[in-house]
Amino acid sequence: MQRTLSPFPMWVGLVIAALIAGLGTGLGFWQGLPAQNVILYTAATFALVLWLWQHVVAVGSSGTAADSASTAPGEAHPSARAAFRKFLTGNRGLLLALLLLLGAFLIASVTVSGFFTGLNVIALLILIVLLVFAVRVSKFFINNRSAFIGLTVLAGLFAISSFTIEGFASAANIKSMLVFASFLGLACVGQTFVALLGGLDLSIPFVIGSSNVGLLYLIKLGVPSWIAVIVVLLLGTFIGFINGILSLRVQGQALILTLGVGFAVSGLTQIMTSIGSAQMGNVYGKVPDWLRNLAAMNGKTFGLSVPPIILIWAGMAVLLIYGLKNTVYGRYLYALGGNRICAGQLMFSEGRYWVGTFMVSGIFSAITGSLLLGWSGGGFIGVGQPYLFMTLAAVVIGGTSLLGGYGGYGFTVIGVLVLQVLTSFLVGIGLTFEWQQFIFGLLILPMVALYARSAHIRTQV
Amino acid sequence: MKLNASSPSGSTYLLVPILLLFALLIVAVIRSPSLISGTGIGSALIVAAPLVLATYALMVVAIAGRGTVDLSVGPLLGFINVTLVQLHGADLVSSPLAVFAYVIAAGVAYQLVMGLIIIYVRVQPIIVALSGYLALSGINLVIMPRPSGTAPDWMMSWGAGTSIFSPVLVIVVLSTAAWLVFARSAFCGHLRMMGFDERAAYTSGVRINAVRLGAHCIAGVFSGLAALTVTSLIGSGDPTQGTTYTLIAVTALVLGGTSLAGGRGGAIGSLIGALNLFLIGYVLATFNFGGIQGFVTEMAYGLILVLSFLLSVALPYLQRHIRHVSPFLVFVALSMLFTAVMLHAKYDYGQPANVQESTASFPADERASSAFFFELGESASDFAMSANQKSMALAALLLVSVVFILRVSVAEAKTRLMTPFMYVSLLIIILVVIWLLATSNGHAAQSFASAKKQAWMIAVGA
Repeated sequence: MQRTLSPFPMWVGLVIAALIAGLGTGLGFWQGLPAQNVILYTAATFALVLWLWQHVVAVGSSGTAADSASTAPGEAHPSARAAFRKFLTGNRGLLLALLLLLGAFLIASVTVSGFFTGLNVIALLILIVLLVFAVRVSKFFINNRSAFIGLTVLAGLFAISSFTIEGFASAANIKSMLVFASFLGLACVGQTFVALLGGLDLSIPFVIGSSNVGLLYLIKLGVPSWIAVIVVLLLGTFIGFINGILSLRVQGQALILTLGVGFAVSGLTQIMTSIGSAQMGNVYGKVPDWLRNLAAMNGKTFGLSVPPIILIWAGMAVLLIYGLKNTVYGRYLYALGGNRICAGQLMFSEGRYWVGTFMVSGIFSAITGSLLLGWSGGGFIGVGQPYLFMTLAAVVIGGTSLLGGYGGYGFTVIGVLVLQVLTSFLVGIGLTFEWQQFIFGLLILPMVALYARSAHIRTQV
Repeated sequence: MKLNASSPSGSTYLLVPILLLFALLIVAVIRSPSLISGTGIGSALIVAAPLVLATYALMVVAIAGRGTVDLSVGPLLGFINVTLVQLHGADLVSSPLAVFAYVIAAGVAYQLVMGLIIIYVRVQPIIVALSGYLALSGINLVIMPRPSGTAPDWMMSWGAGTSIFSPVLVIVVLSTAAWLVFARSAFCGHLRMMGFDERAAYTSGVRINAVRLGAHCIAGVFSGLAALTVTSLIGSGDPTQGTTYTLIAVTALVLGGTSLAGGRGGAIGSLIGALNLFLIGYVLATFNFGGIQGFVTEMAYGLILVLSFLLSVALPYLQRHIRHVSPFLVFVALSMLFTAVMLHAKYDYGQPANVQESTASFPADERASSAFFFELGESASDFAMSANQKSMALAALLLVSVVFILRVSVAEAKTRLMTPFMYVSLLIIILVVIWLLATSNGHAAQSFASAKKQAWMIAVGA
């Protein structure tokens, strides 16, 4: 097994790269972009595809060689028919998915007038190529498969959206997408941590809503805004603490317990803020300018026209990804999520970590709620409602196992971005909220099925 | 011992919901005596029925294990409701037979798909449920953007809630009875075994895929019936109303002692859990909180859910001391207490002469104890109320002593022997009370229509 590439894969790679780059060039000229740009992007695409190809083939060659070595003696002269059948059974899922996709496309083009256009056909082709690519190539990745698939889906979605929707890839749109992704991303921090230990926190939306309303209420009472923020964050942490303590002995049902705590918290906050006020459930007041600047779309960071929240999220993400991999706390979190008994024998407290993750979840929910106040400018208890399932969906799509011990915040970031691009795409092609929700629901399942299938019962016995 | 936990008398998990039930009932009757009347119970039943049936649907799949909490049950109710109303609007489904066939088929079809995905795609059930929740609540709004349409005409009278005898009662009673019968079957044993330990079930030859699919089918039937009762309650199509049932039904499920880890749960517990949830809304509605009513209800649901969880944690410790207490006996004893409170609440101390009317309005609760039997028997003659109460107390004492003696005499042999007797006696009492109430229903004075609407808003709209 030589380490250098044999001539055949190399030429295949060159041809594929040339094809893709050529496609890009054609499309670029067709859309009437400036020639310099087209040439620059063509060169970049060509280089990128070649580099990816080399990487994948180098990773894959050792694996496939081992595979062929082990299977070769068994079938000395496989007939074409048998090989075809083997191909069929080996790629059952993929073929089924392709057929479903084609069927959906055909139905859509028959029923929806004006659906069968050149752009949509190209979009379908990209989708198919990506699907095949993701499924075939991801077999060679032992670790981080979900991250790979997530990135592929992200790239594909972005590519499809940017040439079916006008202005999708513009700076303004990307900025707004990133702002929304930041809210979701910050809300997901806690969910990721809790999922790493095998729990689920459904109190997040209620804490977000409560801190949103509670912060404005405190500011309206005349509390200095920075003290109000600190108080709200402390309260969020306290709710997380209660969640953790209460669910410590019923960890399997943390899902329902946190839901109950969330209900109680949200009801209590509304009662507190509604007493003596005419508007039930809504609080009106003046949001301080610094908080507004922090989260608003036109916010400035030290003069740069980047909303600070994006930088906050990016910084937090780097910190968390590094921290989970390289600190004692992070490593113990994985250890505990992976195997409670072993972790217990390494002498660290399960309870402390369990409660700790819920406190992290509480404080990040409170942060998200406060920032959402800066974004919207008015307190509203239902502001967290979309996050009930979005946080869960982002964590799951990213690839963090809900059983604990596998995943990380980097995965969640990918999941958040995929969800955000998908939402923008669906909004862009003019779907209403109901249809978006419907498609979201249908998409979560296959995305999870790509990598988070549990083993058959007969292999667990 | 494990299997015995499924029978009501062997399950101490039921103690908490039973205690809560009677605490709530007593408060409800003191706060609002109109609950105890033909119309009061009739409308309460109609409002509570969808919740009860939805809880049953959740219960069946929760027993099947793998942490199956079917969050999509609420949107599924909405989906069946909305499609039923639209189909009726298009004159495709209107006869009773067609409607029943449609709702059950729709529920079963959805649950079958869900079961097949869980079995063959092998994704965690909670993800499938989440996916279904999002997809269904989206498509509901597409099918019917705002509440509109009407239910079939023959169904309109169901939602009136003027008498206890309504088709809704029949549906609830039949569903409960069907589950109780089913709980004795081998299939249910397999289901529980699979829920406790799927690997053990698999290695001992249970066909787990068939069992799981069967559980989903049963859940589908319950969801379909729940959707039918929702439709009869609101009398039209509403795309969002069903969704609110998810969280309440999950709360009722947990409160009723069903283990979300699988393997443990039953219809009696779920019934009591659902009734508790309904009563919480009802009791809170009697306190007038004004604008913050909804928030108080929300907080109460949350707190009850958390507290019931904490009790389920504490129960193993308590069980050492209360192992010999039969929940059923507690039930009977508490219903005595409740009857006394009810009498106190309903008895008009100012007008002892008006016997006929007050008897017509008080004895009504399905869960009321045997004491009614005697009380009503006496009241046919012209006893004054004070004498009536005396006989009541005597009857209650008598029944307690009979039950106590029987209990003690059988306890050493087997707890179970007691159960059929208690069931039969309670059933006879309930039937007699209901029959008496239904025949004298004309006396029940006030219209309950507005109160029913209010209770519905509180039970679901929180």
